Formats: sequence, C-alpha cells, structure tokens
Amino acid sequence: MSFFEYTLENYDRLLELSLEHLAVVLVALLIGGVIGIGLGITVYRRPRLRNAALNICGVILTVPSLAMYALLLALLGTIGTVPVIVALVLYSLLPIVRNTVTGLNGVDAAIVESAQGMGMRQWRRLVNVELPLAWPVVLVGIRVSAVLLVGVAALGTIIGGPGLGELIFAGLRVITSPNAVNLALLGTVGVVAVGMLLDGAFLLLSRLTTSKGVR
Amino acid sequence: MSDMIVLEQLTKNYPGQARPAVDALDLAISEGEIVVLVGPSGCGKTTTLKMINRLIEPSSGVIRLQGEDVTRADPDDLRLRMGYVIQQVGLFPHHTIGGNIAAVPRLLGWSRQRIADRLDELLHLVGMDPAIYRDRYPKELSGGQRQRIGVARALAADPPVMLMDEPFGALDPISRDRLQNEFLRLQGQIGKTIVFVTHDIDEAIKMGDRIAILREGSTVAQYDTPETILAAPADEFVSQFIGSGASLKGLGLARVGEVSLADWPTSLRSDGRAAARRALDSSDHGWVLLLDEQRRPVRWVEARGLQGEGSLDGVGLEVRATVEPTATLVGALESMLGSRVGVVVIVDGSGAFLGTVDMRVIMSAVEAMRASAHQRVLDDRRRMRTDQEPAASEIAAK
Repeated sequence: MSFFEYTLENYDRLLELSLEHLAVVLVALLIGGVIGIGLGITVYRRPRLRNAALNICGVILTVPSLAMYALLLALLGTIGTVPVIVALVLYSLLPIVRNTVTGLNGVDAAIVESAQGMGMRQWRRLVNVELPLAWPVVLVGIRVSAVLLVGVAALGTIIGGPGLGELIFAGLRVITSPNAVNLALLGTVGVVAVGMLLDGAFLLLSRLTTSKGVR
Repeated sequence: MSDMIVLEQLTKNYPGQARPAVDALDLAISEGEIVVLVGPSGCGKTTTLKMINRLIEPSSGVIRLQGEDVTRADPDDLRLRMGYVIQQVGLFPHHTIGGNIAAVPRLLGWSRQRIADRLDELLHLVGMDPAIYRDRYPKELSGGQRQRIGVARALAADPPVMLMDEPFGALDPISRDRLQNEFLRLQGQIGKTIVFVTHDIDEAIKMGDRIAILREGSTVAQYDTPETILAAPADEFVSQFIGSGASLKGLGLARVGEVSLADWPTSLRSDGRAAARRALDSSDHGWVLLLDEQRRPVRWVEARGLQGEGSLDGVGLEVRATVEPTATLVGALESMLGSRVGVVVIVDGSGAFLGTVDMRVIMSAVEAMRASAHQRVLDDRRRMRTDQEPAASEIAAK
C-alpha cells in the first residue's frame, strides 16, 4: 500500500491524534508562558537572579527527553497526560524566560524614565509600557518553545501520553511488517504539520497583537 | 513672588565616590520663572534636576514644593505635580500622539470627554493640528514635532512645575531655535515655574529669567539674571564659562525699543532739494534721510546729490535695511554693518521713521548694561549684609 493510500485510509485517526497533540502542546505552552513570563518579570532587573534563572532553565533543556520522562514517572508516580505536560512546561521555560528578559531589558531607557518621571507606578509602567514594547520579543520566545514542544511531545507516548507519538511507536513495534514505515511516516508528517501550523499561528498572532507604532 | 521650589542643603553621595555629586546645594526658584541650571558636563546639574522629582533620591537635605516638605512624600504623587521633559523625549512608540498626551490625565482618572478636550487644546497650543496628528504614531513625526509632543505631554494635567533636561539638545540648530522661541511664547501664556538644564550658555541666556551657573558638586558660582551675569560675572570661573563675546551676548538680550535712539537729519522728499540741503547743513552728518508722505524712509542722499534743481526721485542710495523696535541690538548691529551709511534706520509698525541706531548708541547701551548690572550686584550684597546683621547681633547677645 502506498503512503498516500495509507494516509487516506487512516485520515480520521491522524486528525484525532493531531488534535490531541496540539492540545497537549497548547496547554503546556499556556502554563509555561505564565510561569516563564512571570519569572522573566521577576528577574529582569536583578542581574544575579537573572543569571541563576537562565542557567537553571538552560540545564533543564539539556536533560534528554527520554530521561526526563523516566524521572517524572518516578517522581510523580503516574503515567499519562500529566507527566507529559509537566515535562513540556519545563522544556518551554528557557526560550520564554530568556526572551522576556531580553525584551524587557531592550526597552529604551528614555521611555521608561519618562514613564517614571510622569508619575506612572511600577506595576502600571510594566503593564502599559514595558510589556507591550517587549511583547514581540516575548512572543518569539513562545513560538520557539511551541515548535520545540511539538517534537518533545511526540516522545510522550512512552509514558502513555497522548498525541502523534502513538503512530511512530506503533511503527517501531511492528518494524518488520510492511506498514511499519507508513505508520512512522504518518506520525512524523503529522508532527511536522502541527509544528508548522503552530509556527504560522504565532507569527500571525504577533502581527495582530503588536501596535502599529512599533511594527 | 513666592518661592515655588526651595532646595535646602541638598546633597547626593554615590557610594565609592570621594566627592558628592551634589554638595549641600541651596536654591530657591520663584513661581512663574524659568531658572536655567547651566554648567560644564559632570557638574551635577542633571542629578540636581532629577532630585527635584526624586528620580534620584537625595542623600540628605530638603526639597520644598509650594512650601511643603516633599523630601519623603510618595514620589509618584510628587511627579504628577511636575511635568518632565527629557532630551530623548521618550514618547511611548506603541501609543498614538493622543495616547501619549493623555497618559497623565488617564493616571489621574479624568473623564474621556475632558481628556479629548484637553488633547485638542494642547495640540493647538504647540502648533500642531489635532485632526492631522492625534492618531499618528511617534515614528511618523520629525524630531522637532516629537519634542513638541513631549512638551504637550508634560503639560497635559496642567502641573505648576516643569522640569526640562536639555529638551532641545538633540535638535538641529534651526529647529532648536524655532522650538526655543515657541516655548518662550508658550511660557508667556502659561507662566509655569520651570527648571531647565542645559550645558549651552547661549541657550541659558536666551531661555532663563535667572541662570544658576554651577561648578563641580553642583555648587552655585553665580545665580542671577542673564543681563547681570553677562555684565558682571562673579568670578573667573563664570567669565570663562560665559566665554568670549559676553557684551555681544548681552546685546542679544536688549531690544532696540529700550535704548534712546540717535537723531538724524531728515527731509520730506516732496519738499524738494532746498529743504533737504537746509536739513543737511544744520547737522554734522554727511547724509540726509529722505522720507515719503507717510514719513517712511526712502533714500539716503549726500550733499553732492542735492546740487542743482529738479525732483528728488531716484537720487542717492535706496534705504535697504530698516529695523523695528522689537528687534534685538544684535539684529540692529548686523543691519548697521551691512549699511553703506553706517547707521540703521528704526521704523515703527507702519514703517514711519523713529530714529537711528549707530555705533555710539550701541556703545552707550553696553555701558548702561554694565553699570546697571554692577549696581544690582552692589544692591544684592548690601541687602544680604542687612539680612545677616540681626542674626549676627543675636548670636553676639548670647
């Protein structure tokens, strides 16, 4: 059976798994975004804390994903969606925190000074001036994380997680059967498609949420 | 005139620096005046300014605003009472011009209608059409227009005080001159108390009602009107800082209308040659100035041109440059140097002859400025002595 015919035959399954995959990545991104941006805001004016945070997030990212899943399985004592999402959140942090810090530190000091000089309180300054100006850079961080997570999530099947990894691991299990390649290929194509979709969506979001004055 | 801002023994120490950046500065700024802090770079003038709105916290000393000690008041509340304009402007690039100007009124919770009305008023005030500029973004404006918006934004909630840190320093000379003039005209209408920092003594002379010349540690070398500082610099540091051409700079402050003009022989062109000859003979000048029926100067004529008979049309030299009483003496001097006769003709608004300015008028104006400045310095010293006397006798009594 050709790959094309195989795809048509398994179209429903592909779509279902892709949506699962997308959902798990989006949930992890949402949590990672809140934690990462929060962390970035907390550390961006404190050089020592900033370096510590970035180093820790960097170390997390170097842990191989298989090892990460194994560790979380042991730590959380459960399989399925939860440990996968926890792993994805951890992996998402470095790009988001780094870009939040870079974006906030990149805001023109004169703009911040004039905001302060007119009597804008710190929190309001952050929400009305600094974050909107850093936003395009922050969003690039989230976009990079999104693409990264789509790949890592595919391995989540190993601890019973949802998504397209199921097709790839099914192919591995039946490696001698004639459909093994088709299965693995279908899963891979699905992962790439979800990744490209997310990348495009965030690019569009960036256009829509950036003020005309700074574009 | 009451004091709007008073700085008492204001000091800023930075850790690891032997000398304070600002060292026990005392300065009083009256309501409605422009005080310029001027000095060489590193003298602490910007630090001083930023301590007034507490962007830099003073190490010690007291800041009083309208008599109230605000040294430990909430800094954000304090800043709402002071407009702040900086060289880099610092407009919010993601907000429209309207959004930028509305920033402080929004902080104060004004109603939408009140903000909209104030926005239009301010844009008119800085000479920009609200219909065109309200919804534009800062990046669409020129440097000069951005600083106009910077000034409008600082004025938005009508604060009594404006702090300006080299506001026109980043502009090209032509725009800078234009904005300075516009700002002085604006200040004539709004009468704010303004503290203005610059390193440019010429800008200080032009903008300041009073100038505080600062040396290292923000120590006041001289605090007086530009006229007095130019004519009677307090010490070597001040005269060096003013640089050469102090008299010329002083002439840039005096208006033609403030000096007594020199007389000049004139004659109506329609009265003919005989009348013109008589006018010339009764004076010791070599030229007679011919006027038309409305007494507007038309031509310069020498005795040679008056010989014989006939109409006076086209005789002598055309009067090219005339100057109105509102011009500065520098402007008059410039026209004078360009004139063949060596004098400049002063006319009123309708163009009628008022008198002339020649070298003697300029010289006596310079003399008068020096004399009055010296007198003021003497008066100030005498007043300070009498102020101190009671205190001294009290101490003696104890």
